[in-house]
Amino acid sequence: MIRRLSAIAGAVFLDAIKRRVVFAVLFFAAILAFSAPSLPSYGAGVDVGVYREVALSLTFAASIILALALSANRIPSEVERRTVYNVAAKAVSRWEYVVGTWLGITAVMAAVIAAFTVVDQLVGLVRYGDPMWQLWQGAIAIWMETGVLTAFAVAVSAVTGAVVVTVATLTFAFIGHSRQPVLTSFPAFPAWLYPSLDSFNVINPVAHGTGIGAVYVGLMALVFAGWVAALLALGSLGFARRDL
Amino acid sequence: MSDITQGAAIAIAGARKVYTVFPQAQRVAVDDVTLEVPRGAIHGLLGPNGAGKTTTLKMLLGLVRPTGGTFTVLGVDSRSRAGRVHLGFLPEQPYFPPQLTAAQAMRLYARLSGVPEREIAARTGELLERVGLEGRASTTLSAFSRGMLQRLGIAQAIVSRPSVVVLDEPASGLDPLGQRDVRNLMMQLRDDGATVLLSSHQLSEAETVCDRVSIMSRGCVAAEGPIAELLSVAGRTAIRVAGLPAGLPAPVAAMAADVADSGDVIRFSVEDADVRRAIDAVYDAGGTVVEVEPKRESLEDYFTRMLADEKGEVA
Repeated sequence: MIRRLSAIAGAVFLDAIKRRVVFAVLFFAAILAFSAPSLPSYGAGVDVGVYREVALSLTFAASIILALALSANRIPSEVERRTVYNVAAKAVSRWEYVVGTWLGITAVMAAVIAAFTVVDQLVGLVRYGDPMWQLWQGAIAIWMETGVLTAFAVAVSAVTGAVVVTVATLTFAFIGHSRQPVLTSFPAFPAWLYPSLDSFNVINPVAHGTGIGAVYVGLMALVFAGWVAALLALGSLGFARRDL
Repeated sequence: MSDITQGAAIAIAGARKVYTVFPQAQRVAVDDVTLEVPRGAIHGLLGPNGAGKTTTLKMLLGLVRPTGGTFTVLGVDSRSRAGRVHLGFLPEQPYFPPQLTAAQAMRLYARLSGVPEREIAARTGELLERVGLEGRASTTLSAFSRGMLQRLGIAQAIVSRPSVVVLDEPASGLDPLGQRDVRNLMMQLRDDGATVLLSSHQLSEAETVCDRVSIMSRGCVAAEGPIAELLSVAGRTAIRVAGLPAGLPAPVAAMAADVADSGDVIRFSVEDADVRRAIDAVYDAGGTVVEVEPKRESLEDYFTRMLADEKGEVA
C-alpha cells in the first residue's frame, strides 16, 4: 500500500512540479516579495512587521492560486484523457489513487511554500538585516491550510469537473474564514459543522507578535489531519462509485 | 462454476451495463455478454463501433461498475484489487502524465504492478527496447508521437509479465511496421504462456493472430468460435492460378465465382464437386495451379454481411 501510494504521489509530484504554472506563480511572487519593501506605506516609517505581514499574505494568496491550479483539474483531466486507466486497471484501489494524488500535490505545495519563504527571508535579510526565522511558522500554517483546500478540491474533483471544483473550493475557503459572521446570520445552525480554516490564520502573531508555540502547531496539525482524512475519505468514496 | 470456467483465464458471465441518461432515460451498452477465454490463447473481441466491446473490457477491469454479471481472471473476481494482480491492460489510445519521462512512467507502472525495486531499471530498458523505444528513456512524454505513446502503452501493460493481457486496439496509431511488431508481440506472449484478449477494429490483425474470436453487435455476442469455423464457406473451394494472361478459360469461368484477377494471379472459387474439372481445365489452357484451399470468408465480408442482416431485421 505504501509503495503504491508513494509511486502515485511521486509521479504526481514530478509531473506537477515541472508545469509552467508553478514557475509562473513563483516568478511573480518573487517579484512581489522584492518590491514589497518599496510600497508607499513604508515611507511612513512602518516597521518590519508590516513586511512580514505582506510577505505571508503574498505567500498565502500565491499558494491558494497554485493549489487550485494543480488540484482542480488533476483528476478530471486524467479521467478525460484516460491517463487514469493505466493506474486504475492495475492492482490499485481507487482510494490509493485519490490519496496518492493529494500527497503528490501537497508535496509540490511544500516545495513551493518553502521557496516562497526562502525568498521572503532573503529580501528581509537584505532590506532589514533580519533573517526572520518566524516566517517558517507562518509557512507551516499556510501549507496546512493549502493541504486542507487541496484535499477539498481533490475530493470534489473525484466526482465532477474543474469549474465546479474551483467554485466549490473558493466557497469552502470563504466560509472557512468567515465563520463567525455566517454563524451570526444562522444562529440555530450548529457551529461545529462549519469548516474553520481560521485555525491556520497565524499571520498576525507571526508578523506582529512573538509567533506561535509548539502546542498551537500541534493543534493545527490535528485540525489539518482531521479535515484531510474526512475530505479524502469522502473523495475516495465518490471516486470508487464512479464509472471511468 | 463449470470445469471450463475454472480452467478459463478470463470468464465473463451475464455481463450487463445500463447507463442512465439524465433524467430517466436508459441506454443499454452491454446486454448479457458471456465469454470464456482459455489459458494461453489469443481471443479476439470484434465488432463495429458501439457494439459494447470497450464497455465489456472496462467492466472486466473494474473501470466501470456493471449492472449485472460476474467477471473473473484466473478464477478471481477481476473487479477486486487482488483480481487484477496478474492482469495487464493497454487502453485504446493511451495517454500518460506529459511531464514524466518514459523511464519515470515505466517506473510508476512497474511499482504499481509490484515489480521488485531492484528489477525495475533492467526491465524498463528491456521493455522499451522490445517495443521499439530504445534510447527514449529520458525523453519527456509530451514530446512523444501518437505511435510512441502507443508503444509505451504496450510496454506498461506487460511490465509485470502478467498472465493475462487485455489489449484495446493495440495497433491504433502505429505504422505497418509497428502493427507487425504488435502482432509478433502478441504471439510471443502466447508462446510464453500468457493469455491475450484483443479488442480490435483491425480485422486482418485479428485474423492473423487470434485462435478464437467473439463478434459483438448491439451489446451482445453475435457469434463466437475459431476463426476458421466462423469464416468457412461450406461446400466451396478457393483456387489460385497463374500463367493465364487471357483470363480464365471458358469452362472454368462458367463455374467460377468471386473472381479476382491481379494480372499474374487469378483467384476464384468453385463448388467442391467442380474442383477436379476446374484444375484440369486450367492445366489444359497452359496455366498452373498455385493454391487450393477450403473457401473462407474474410472477416471484413463477415462483418459486412452481419451488419447487412441486422439492417434487414430492423427494416
